[in-house]
Amino acid sequence: MHLEWGFFLRDIGDGETTYLSWLFSAWGWTLAVAGCAWVLALLLGSVVGTLRTMQVTWVARLANAWVELFRNIPLLVQIFLWYHVIPSLIPPLRDVPSFVLVVFGLGLFTSSRVAEQVRAGIQSLPHGQRHAGMALGLTTAQTYRYVLLPMAFRIVIPPLTSEAMNIIKNSSVAFAVSISELTLFAMQAQEETSRGVEVYLAVTTLYIITAMTINRLMALIEKRVRVPGYVGGDR
Amino acid sequence: MIEIKNVSKWYGSFQVLTKCSTSVKKGEVVVVCGPSGSGKSTLIKCVNALEPFQEGEVVIDGTSVGAAGTDLPRLRSKVGMVFQHFELFPHLSIIENLTLAQVKVLNRSAEAARDKGLALLERVGLTAHADKFPGQLSGGQQQRVAIARALAMDPMCMLFDEPTSALDPEMINEVLDVMVQLAQEGMTMMCVTHEMGFARKVAHRVIFMDKGEIVEDATKDDFFGKPRSERAVQFLSKILQH
Repeated sequence: MHLEWGFFLRDIGDGETTYLSWLFSAWGWTLAVAGCAWVLALLLGSVVGTLRTMQVTWVARLANAWVELFRNIPLLVQIFLWYHVIPSLIPPLRDVPSFVLVVFGLGLFTSSRVAEQVRAGIQSLPHGQRHAGMALGLTTAQTYRYVLLPMAFRIVIPPLTSEAMNIIKNSSVAFAVSISELTLFAMQAQEETSRGVEVYLAVTTLYIITAMTINRLMALIEKRVRVPGYVGGDR
Repeated sequence: MIEIKNVSKWYGSFQVLTKCSTSVKKGEVVVVCGPSGSGKSTLIKCVNALEPFQEGEVVIDGTSVGAAGTDLPRLRSKVGMVFQHFELFPHLSIIENLTLAQVKVLNRSAEAARDKGLALLERVGLTAHADKFPGQLSGGQQQRVAIARALAMDPMCMLFDEPTSALDPEMINEVLDVMVQLAQEGMTMMCVTHEMGFARKVAHRVIFMDKGEIVEDATKDDFFGKPRSERAVQFLSKILQH
């Protein structure tokens, strides 16, 4: 098979953009969607995951409901719900750009998965840790902030790495609502140039580079926050 | 100082504490012993409300623990507690373990807290380990740090929940030595322990529990001299054999 990469330097027809610059702008959109959604997912997921371990029953139930809601509906369906259904139920949302809707769709979906990891992390700590914090006079909030969460987050860095890599890959659903990200670029560029193999090879490479960079980044963070002398899960 | 009045507690329909009543006076050292599953750890955790109880009352220095509106964090900050598994905070250095609650709960300045922490580390003989992490210390050392951490809050009394049960035999004495010294200085102490040598040495009273009930509550001499209940006699014969 003969690969032909020259078309990347060709104009896409508007007189100023090449396919290569379109590719990079699409990569930018992928990073933007995934990045914004990840921030949202991490914030909401941490809060919801923490609430799930509270000893106040109704709070924990509400947080459980959140997780069940967002992880039991297919991601693509959730994106369409945000794009088609929710704006028609809440008219002010009609003017919100689809980028924001996708960020919410992907972010909330991922938040349920992050919440699950954070909950598991907190519950993997010895029960006495909570008692020790409270016995010193720390409030519940302080016990979480200074005692439970610092260890729980260290423990769940590996599963959170998977989630961060997943959100890059899952951001491809944004093509369904016409965000000009990598997957949409691939489909359109392939159609226009008939160079599907090269286009998809390029896009695939960028996805792999991105996900692997995240993986290395998280490994670096894990190393930086490692606790001297602590062997995970020894009790 | 500590009043426990008719405390009963259930896990679901299973009763773990049945009408437990006793008290610890200021400066008194009370040892709580009994077979495993007798409810002694649960009882001591009811004292600072780490475990809720359904009936009865616990009063510490005039404050009812179970009453609605009691500022539990404030009350707990005045009651030191030492756990079976040390429960140092693994992500904080030893000195940070000692200063965290001083700063966050008592609002002490960082320097004042550090000075206090270092003084207490010297007292338990661990000054050299101030900047290490809990995972780098032996069990005995960790438990001494845990005692220092509780003392850093200037507690009016101390609760010990089987402080030596998780330790290797050669480390038990270094922890008991710290506790004996504390007792001799007049600290009010309630200790769940099987260390009868410690009880003989410093306890004023011994409480024997079985099946969630306080079976015997006697002075040390009475308890070791002429225990009244058959269950206490059996228990003592089992643990004092060797």
